[in-house]
Amino acid sequence: MPLTEAQIERYSRHIILDKVGGVGQEKLLSAKVLIVGTGGLGAPAALYLAAAGVGTIGLLDGDAVDLTNLQRQIIHHTEDVGVRKVDSALAKMHAINPNVTIRTYDVWARADNLAQIVREYDFVIDGVDNFAAKFLINDVCYFEQIPFSHAGILQFEGQLMTVLPNATACYRCVFPAPPPAGSVPSCGQAGVLGVLPGVVGSLQATEAIKHLLGIGELLTDTLLTYNALTMTFRKIPVGRNPECPLCGRNPEITEVRDEKQVVCEQRGCVC
Amino acid sequence: MNAYIQRVLSVPASVREQTGRFRRQVERFVRGELTPTAFRAYRVPWGVYEQRSAGHFMVRVRIGAGVVSSSQLRCLARLSRAYGNGILHVTTRQDVQIHDVAIESTPHVLEDLLEAGLSSRGGGGNTVRNITACPRAGICAAERFDVTPHAIALAEYLLQFDSSYNLPRKYKIVFSGCAADCGLASVADLGFFAHHREGAKGFAVYAGGGLGPNPAVGVKVEDFIREGDIFEVAETVKRLFDKHGDRSNKHKARLRYVLKRLGPEQFIRLYRQERTAVRQEGLEGPLPQIEATDERPTTSATTNVLDGSQATADIAPEKDAGLFTFRLGLPLGDLSADELVEVARLADNYGTGLVRTTQQQNLLIPSVPEERFDDLHAEIGRLGIRTSDQRSPEVVACAGAATCKLGLCLSRSLATAITKKLAENPNSTVGGTTIRVSGCPNSCAQHHVADIGLQGHARRVDGKLLPCYDVLTGGKTAEGKAQLATRIGTVPAKAVPDLLAELFAAGKIPSQLEPLVHEYESKAIPDDYFYDWGADQPFSLAGRGPGECGAGVMDVITVDIQQAKEAIKQAALKTQDSAKSESLYQAVLASARALLVLSGDEPKTDRAIFQAFTKHLIEPGWVDLAAQELLDCAVDWRMGNKGTLADMQDRAARLVQRVEQLFLSLDANLKFKLEPVAVTRAASEGPASTVDLRGVACPLNFVKAKLAVEKVGIGDIIEIQLDDGEPIRNVSASLADQGQEVLETKRLYDHFLLRVRRTR
Repeated sequence: MPLTEAQIERYSRHIILDKVGGVGQEKLLSAKVLIVGTGGLGAPAALYLAAAGVGTIGLLDGDAVDLTNLQRQIIHHTEDVGVRKVDSALAKMHAINPNVTIRTYDVWARADNLAQIVREYDFVIDGVDNFAAKFLINDVCYFEQIPFSHAGILQFEGQLMTVLPNATACYRCVFPAPPPAGSVPSCGQAGVLGVLPGVVGSLQATEAIKHLLGIGELLTDTLLTYNALTMTFRKIPVGRNPECPLCGRNPEITEVRDEKQVVCEQRGCVC
Repeated sequence: MNAYIQRVLSVPASVREQTGRFRRQVERFVRGELTPTAFRAYRVPWGVYEQRSAGHFMVRVRIGAGVVSSSQLRCLARLSRAYGNGILHVTTRQDVQIHDVAIESTPHVLEDLLEAGLSSRGGGGNTVRNITACPRAGICAAERFDVTPHAIALAEYLLQFDSSYNLPRKYKIVFSGCAADCGLASVADLGFFAHHREGAKGFAVYAGGGLGPNPAVGVKVEDFIREGDIFEVAETVKRLFDKHGDRSNKHKARLRYVLKRLGPEQFIRLYRQERTAVRQEGLEGPLPQIEATDERPTTSATTNVLDGSQATADIAPEKDAGLFTFRLGLPLGDLSADELVEVARLADNYGTGLVRTTQQQNLLIPSVPEERFDDLHAEIGRLGIRTSDQRSPEVVACAGAATCKLGLCLSRSLATAITKKLAENPNSTVGGTTIRVSGCPNSCAQHHVADIGLQGHARRVDGKLLPCYDVLTGGKTAEGKAQLATRIGTVPAKAVPDLLAELFAAGKIPSQLEPLVHEYESKAIPDDYFYDWGADQPFSLAGRGPGECGAGVMDVITVDIQQAKEAIKQAALKTQDSAKSESLYQAVLASARALLVLSGDEPKTDRAIFQAFTKHLIEPGWVDLAAQELLDCAVDWRMGNKGTLADMQDRAARLVQRVEQLFLSLDANLKFKLEPVAVTRAASEGPASTVDLRGVACPLNFVKAKLAVEKVGIGDIIEIQLDDGEPIRNVSASLADQGQEVLETKRLYDHFLLRVRRTR
């Protein structure tokens, strides 16, 4: 469908870009991205992807907005406290761009529901706050062959990696299994700089858009770490691990299952 | 008794706002950030024109309906003294011009004008020009009703819209209060004639008239519209013009060419369609108030003698008994700033504080009570305000080649010479005769509606240019009965005053001029006839760059091409080789010479003409290389080699034909629209698609251009129409930056055509 006059104006700065153009913008308009977790990471990703005109955006989160979220989850406003997060996020995204379709899933990500949702999308953004869900996303995306962007944050540091399943290193290639419960503190316990997920979530949105347009170099087989205190970005090469329990030569994991800790035990620690 | 007082035009808020931005554009130009071309496109619609001498500018201030207040006159006088040459000029379209303003001063002028409630917006360019009215509207005893409120309200309405400043060409609107048409509505793009129907005020409407080359009288498009419908009708004609006006050729762009092209029936049909569409869509409101006019009866006793011709009398009775209009007959529309200040004072003291500008380039002080007449007369005498003699003819002249970049002849000098010559014989019968002198076919002095019209023209005599004037008679305007003056002959410029003196001395009238003109046409031409009036150099077009060639130059080119064609005809009739060769030689020489003026060249000798032709036309590929051989043969023949020229008749004919085609393809910037002979493959391929992005601002025009390029196949060509200035520069550069192949940037009349091949 040709771009409307309003779309031409709205997306003019994209269309001007040599690597985007009208063709690229039309790709974005027909693309579908699922954001799992509408917290600190999901918030900027959701806002930017809506603004960019990604045609269909899925929001998956089973939580409600809490006052402690507002320090970093900028898609939610003070008046939203107590509102379902997906509803709160939808309202802000529509305010930015009423032309994108937003599907909401007011559930927690589980082994028995995530695959059927993920397979509807072209790309997934991992914006969850706990290891169990991160491994679940990795596994589901592997089985469904859907590219995704992993990210994690804590205190002043964040990390980021893009996974093209069966082609580039997956999350389990780097971290075979979740750490024992309690060995790594959660955000609720250790704290997090509010702006940190803003940076990392925006990087995830960047990866999503690059993938959808087929431009640039994705952050595959590479773990990017960001230290906000020293302002250091480091790219750590990681390769596919032949011993990976998911995508290695002799995989142990042959179907999706829930890891022990599905959500952070501590309320209000959605990152 | 209370005198009738009108209001003056009120500058709309949008124009006030835009005036504030004029300064920045001037500053950008002065800093070199804006090219002269881009700046010209910006300043001309602001009524800021460069004069003939570079660096001097003229500011044309619109005087709505010709009604101006004394305080506005004082402002004009002050600006002329502070920034100009201290002389004000009243134009035939009721504007007032300030001359010799430095470009850096133009923002001051525009800003100060605004403070006095005046503006030069739409003073030039392809815009809604000053909306004029009969000079005595509201006070004339013969009028049906006062049309100044309509002229003013319509201007206030149209001036608000950007679309009024980007038309195919200028759009002139006139209101006349009765069928006598003192306002010249019958030769306007849109002319309104006051009428009553069933007690309601309204207008008969004419459209498609205009003076200039190929002048035309408008056709009636409405028998009667109610006064409130003037906005809708003006908008309708504006859209009709916008849709059908030929933007690719400035010289064929005016509404009258649309009328000519479509024919009156189709023109009126399209007008009706457009009006229905406008009505359905509704006008962008709110509409300005048409001031209720005072429909008082004529109480003066002299109604029956008042018609258009009475406007030439210095004193005329008004509609209201006991009030008179005093005319200041300005010589050629000029008066000094000091004089203007005095006029303002007199208007305050004796009249109503309002002054009127007239189509005859004069000023009127309206509504002077009879008992104060002698005082006013005495004051004018004492102040020494120069006015023209009541018994002399009304001589109107355009600016002419002295200051106008388009001018061909020095029309003002001729006008002065005529006035002086006729004054030598005070018994002559010239009183009331209007003589209008235009320096070129652009007709700025409106010579087609004069008793005697003179139009600058050039003839070639013995290879030299002779300044001449076409003489026209029989022009008149009147509702439904307008007649354009017809040409009765062409006489040398230097002979014109004698011609007219002889006519009037014999007690004859203008319609009896024709035999005398023919007599003058056959007289011998003395050497000093090659000098125009007021010129100390022989008449020449040399040194006029392409930007300065106007209709007059085109005229000279036509003369050469006609001569070449005639010579080809003659050659075909000749049987002897020597006679044939002589004719062919003349044909080749005339065609070689014809277009050289476009390069600013006017070579004197045959050899230099041939050399210049090679340089300017053959080498760039405009003319086939085969022409070079023809030229060489012509030179050989001249040198005494009698051999080959006679055999080259076909080739010479082709050369003449090519030169004429090139001439006819000239666009408004005097560039050939024809492709060069040696075209590249790309330039001759047809485009896969064309897209019009005029009026689309940066960077959205690039966005749209890019989208359009993406739609054609790789390797295909697309043509994109873009505005002058930033648009053409930015879009072309951006497309090239992104790897597309920009084949050609072609300047059309007021915009550009970009040809691009999609490469990726």
